[in-house]
Amino acid sequence: MVDGFLIPKETAVLLVPIATIILGLVIGWLGQRSGFCSIGGIRDYMLFRQTRLLKGYVALIISAFVFYFIFSLIVPAAIPKFFWCLQEGQLFTAIGGAPAVGTVGVIILMIIGGIFVGIIGTLLGGCPLRQLVMTSEGNMKSLIFVIGMLAGAVIFTALLSPWIVQAFTAIGL
Amino acid sequence: MVTDISEKKKGVDTYLKIPLLGGAVIGFAAALIQALLFAAGGPQAYGFCVACHSRDLINYITNSLTGSNLFLAPFSANAVAAGTLPVLTIIGVLVGAAGAALLYKEFRVKKGDAKSYAVYGVGGILFMIFALCMGACPYRLALRIGYGDLVAVFGLIALIVGVFIGIKIAMKRMEGK
Repeated sequence: MVDGFLIPKETAVLLVPIATIILGLVIGWLGQRSGFCSIGGIRDYMLFRQTRLLKGYVALIISAFVFYFIFSLIVPAAIPKFFWCLQEGQLFTAIGGAPAVGTVGVIILMIIGGIFVGIIGTLLGGCPLRQLVMTSEGNMKSLIFVIGMLAGAVIFTALLSPWIVQAFTAIGL
Repeated sequence: MVTDISEKKKGVDTYLKIPLLGGAVIGFAAALIQALLFAAGGPQAYGFCVACHSRDLINYITNSLTGSNLFLAPFSANAVAAGTLPVLTIIGVLVGAAGAALLYKEFRVKKGDAKSYAVYGVGGILFMIFALCMGACPYRLALRIGYGDLVAVFGLIALIVGVFIGIKIAMKRMEGK
């Protein structure tokens, strides 16, 4: 143990690709068998009051909460504190690698992003995991969607995220 | 003997077909990966995310092909710096789902027309851009909420509003036809 982590850094970085590919295999298998879909769950509930898929998404939130809590007792350094969003400097690490945007900016980006993700996901029949699974089932439209996603990721990191951060910094959010 | 095995396979499969179980497993596995591998680098609640993990993978490929310096999350960047590969979740999902589809004979090639390909391609690009804007796909959103990130709750509310608008648009289009 180093610094209270379960696995020292040198070993952990070597395990990253192996652990994530095993995780992916398990999730892909489960996703194919159950038709798991987050956006589909919300959609089915709104349209038909059907809770089969929605239960899966709610179970994901609850199980993440429970197991993060359990593991935080075993490995305090890995999962330091609940409500980490309120700790300064840890607010937002995901946006294309850009340095942190302020709290208000993050919330605005979340709301804009969330609304459009919801709309596109509903109209094109599924969340990203569902699209990956449908690609593996031989759906050519989903394959094009996944290729589009990969292109979008490069476009966002290379072109858009620096621009967004500049704009938000300029107006002080 | 043969029937025994296929019976057993069916018995397990009925459990695998429950989305509730799938959700619980994803939550557990993401937390486990976080606990085991957090020393490899952040950010928090990074156990499973389709958007962020595919961004890491494609940026790694782009970087090694063109020599550019696109962003990888520290979790992947440290692994690449140590000489291994970044997160491979996406490949795992594709292979795992293909394996299940082939084993249960649910693999069928479905083609679309040129117009639907264009719609799905542009949709995919926009979807990824907005997902990265949000900082997460719906899965990492759930993980962040489970982790106690109150900002992610705004994302979930926005996602629900978005699905509602999407349903309205779809209904309008159906009425138009």
